Amino acid sequence: MSGIRAWQINASRAAAIFVLTVVACSAAVRGIAADETTAEEQAFAAAVDRVASSVVQIETTGGREQVEGLLLGTGPTTGLVVDPQGYIISSAFNFIGNPASILVRLPSGKRMAARLVATDHARMLVLLKVDVDRPLPVCEVAPRNQMRVGQWAIAVGRTFAGDRPNMAVGILSALDRISGRAIQTDAAVSPNNYGGPLVDIQGRVMGVLVPLSAQPGGQIAGMELYDSGIGFAIPAEDLQRVLPRLKKGEDLHPGLAGVSIQGANQFTAPPIVAACRAKSPAALAGIKPGDRIVELGGRPISRAIQVRDELGRCYAGDKLSVVVLRGKQRIASDLALVEKLEPHQHGFLGVLPMRSETDEGVAVRYVYPGSPAAAAGVAAGDVLVSLAGESIHDRLELMQTIGMSEPGAEIALEVRRSGALRKLKATLVATPEELPPVDLPAAHENVKSHAVERPAVGAVRLKIPEHNNKVWSYVPTGYDPEIPYGVLVWLHPPGGYEWEELLARWKPLCDKHDLILVAPKSTTQSRWMPEEAMLVDRLLMQVGMTYNVDPARIVVHGYEGGGAMAFLTAFRNRQMIRAVAAVEAVPVGSAPDNDPQFRFSVYLASAEKSPSARSVRQAVASLRKKKIPVVTKGLGETPRYLSDEELSELVRWIDMLDRM
Amino acid sequence: MRSAFCVLRWSALVALTSLGLCGATAFAASPLAATVDQVQPKIVKIFGAGGVRGMENYQSGILISSEGHILTAFSHVLDTDYIDAVLADGRKFDAKLLGADPRLDVAVLKIQATGLPAFDLSKAGSAEAGARILCFSNIFEVAMGDEQATVQRGTVAVRTRLEARRGVFDTPYHGPVYVLDVTTNNPGAPGGALVSARGQLLGMLGKELRNSLNNTWLNYAVPIGELRQSVEEIEAGRFVARRDAPAEKKPEHSITLAALGVVLVPDMLERTPPFVDRVQPGSPAAKAGLRADDLVLLCGDRLVQSCKALGAELELIDYEDPVKLTVLRDQQLIELTLQPVTPSPSNKKGQL
Repeated sequence: MSGIRAWQINASRAAAIFVLTVVACSAAVRGIAADETTAEEQAFAAAVDRVASSVVQIETTGGREQVEGLLLGTGPTTGLVVDPQGYIISSAFNFIGNPASILVRLPSGKRMAARLVATDHARMLVLLKVDVDRPLPVCEVAPRNQMRVGQWAIAVGRTFAGDRPNMAVGILSALDRISGRAIQTDAAVSPNNYGGPLVDIQGRVMGVLVPLSAQPGGQIAGMELYDSGIGFAIPAEDLQRVLPRLKKGEDLHPGLAGVSIQGANQFTAPPIVAACRAKSPAALAGIKPGDRIVELGGRPISRAIQVRDELGRCYAGDKLSVVVLRGKQRIASDLALVEKLEPHQHGFLGVLPMRSETDEGVAVRYVYPGSPAAAAGVAAGDVLVSLAGESIHDRLELMQTIGMSEPGAEIALEVRRSGALRKLKATLVATPEELPPVDLPAAHENVKSHAVERPAVGAVRLKIPEHNNKVWSYVPTGYDPEIPYGVLVWLHPPGGYEWEELLARWKPLCDKHDLILVAPKSTTQSRWMPEEAMLVDRLLMQVGMTYNVDPARIVVHGYEGGGAMAFLTAFRNRQMIRAVAAVEAVPVGSAPDNDPQFRFSVYLASAEKSPSARSVRQAVASLRKKKIPVVTKGLGETPRYLSDEELSELVRWIDMLDRM
Repeated sequence: MRSAFCVLRWSALVALTSLGLCGATAFAASPLAATVDQVQPKIVKIFGAGGVRGMENYQSGILISSEGHILTAFSHVLDTDYIDAVLADGRKFDAKLLGADPRLDVAVLKIQATGLPAFDLSKAGSAEAGARILCFSNIFEVAMGDEQATVQRGTVAVRTRLEARRGVFDTPYHGPVYVLDVTTNNPGAPGGALVSARGQLLGMLGKELRNSLNNTWLNYAVPIGELRQSVEEIEAGRFVARRDAPAEKKPEHSITLAALGVVLVPDMLERTPPFVDRVQPGSPAAKAGLRADDLVLLCGDRLVQSCKALGAELELIDYEDPVKLTVLRDQQLIELTLQPVTPSPSNKKGQL
């Protein structure tokens, strides 16, 4: 036992004593391996002893009783002394109820009033302060560069009755988790030790235990992983770095740069800039679409995911050096990261493109009356040949390029009309929020496909292996693989739908406007479950692999509960879903900001006497604040679904989603 | 292997020692295996009442005599005349309930057999936080017939007490427990054995228990030392059920907030923080210096997190005794002692 006590006094001497103990034991006792167990047990206890005097219990009173549907416990919870002057760090999870009072109970049993000094919203930590009459003991920190996956990791809390801390033993499972913000352990991590230290076998603090989740999930994200063998801790070294800022009372937030990277697969894609938000740190640093990021914060970058991870380590207010490659030129600058980005607003020229392939540029299908294009003299049938001196190759690329500029930006265009080239200038405006005209010219000439084989057309049953849902779809019988088709996912209201009825309504519209209808049924008749959003993702992927799908016209449409589900699905899958058309429904959850890369539009139909009329008005205002274009449709007095006329108007709106 | 690897990481000095332990590493697996071999024959799979949704009809037990005494958890599974005990070798016996101590959630069964391997309760040990442990039980009824019980490895997280106060833990047992850092307390586990890495019996796995303070499941075992006396008395046929542990005794006449001159804010929520709304002039509270807007945090040394909790604490205090309150005022903890006015016999009735 002398060995154990010695750890508290002097680590190296303790190690020496320990060696002696082991040697002595191995000679004395019959099983040498049994002593290995003894040695381990003593080392665990000694490691905890070394930090015990800095691990405090926290009790709170008052505050909210429920957060995000979770009934909050009343504690107690754990904290770790990080400064002798009475600064204590804990997990933000322990304070999400915003308690009226905080008491810190020192290992001696003495209770002290504490105040919350600052919160680190990026790493989910809080800093508390108690007024001390003598310094509190502080732990030694384990250097980050000495941590190795596989080494012992002991999670320490102080939440049980009695004067002893509680411990859970495991190993370090991973370093650099959650965008480089956390280390991972398989020791049992739970509300029993959130806010406490994760220590190494020498009793040095490796990190502070917090619930975290790889997916964004609000304030309680990660709690569902408690005691699962997946636990996270914020590295103590990272914490030390920001402690001075927290002590000053500065709340810390994740740092945003406002740069999007090209490519669907962030793990393999090269770090080429797709877009910079207007007035964002990236834009202010002079970064331009097409630049290749080669260095961030002095570290070399070769894949898109590294950009996310490097940014993940940073806070708003941090300055991060960046080097980009533009052609052969290396350009170095600084990103002054911010807490909030201005939502992007897509600039609008006022044209609809033809969807058939051309030898040169993109042909104009329709010019919006009164739009910048109309003012510049563009007419249907013209071919847009170049933009800002760059030749135009296809419709989606042109949409992307125009949309990157915000309203007010002036663009230079080259247009070919019956052989003659003309140069034009136009000042972009905001995307109009109007219902479509009664008649639209066709989006493509009558191409005769040369395709020999065609996938199934007409009414087709779809099946996603892990989901039990019944899914019908309709693919226009004249399906031509050379033409891009829009996809409309119909989410029925409570009670399901009749396929024959649905098909009769939608078939002529789908045939006329190149639209594929996909209609899943919820597994429970009465309602959609949030998990079923995943089903829609999978259906869209399957349809996308089978048919020629137009990425600009993927829409989720729902009535009542189906409409709410449509919003939920679309907010989760901004990469694929371009619009929501909801009837008598309001958005579930908070809409993300409009994104330069992933356009998003909303059609909302509701009646004056609808019980949700007020919420609809609020939702429209909130969506517009996020710069998402919203079209509203009044349905008269009493709530109902769309009439045939209104439905064909909605389909025309979908037909115009590749506007630019 | 893993443990040897981790010790190596621990420090250069110890790494050197580990070289000396190389011989040990070669058979490092064997001590634990030896422990398992020695414990498994003493673990019993128990089947009885239940089987309906949420009420499993199986649990675990520990042989504690060569004549077939089995230590197990007192639960609904034993609520039948037909209890089956299946030994590690697959032999199945009718088991008879000898007796139970509901206060400890413990029961003793008896099967007709002799010469069985068994734990000697008088040689059971104890352990501290950090001790490596093994748990043996028929968790989730994974083992059937002569299949051996499931063995789980973990560490004692802490030795603590299950607190009886305010229904934190919904169990009749309120005493010392080993909290474990491994998920042991699941269906089938109650009655299983908690054993040290060296095979010494430490405790009996308890029932599933939720910690209402933080909404987590508790993994725990009751130390054998707590059970020994009841078990011996049941075995000897002289067990007399004890009365429930004396609940915190309420005095005949408790003190009230009104008698102290304290008016709290209206109690609107499940857990309204006990802020002082008003103090009656000249009252014990006023004399002690309590003020409006003070937040009462402690009554005696107990944390009171709501108006209701403060009321419940006061019910435990006699109307003539002083009341010690700790309040928060401007981020300062202030301790106050409220001295009730002892009423004269004539108006005593009126006070109550």
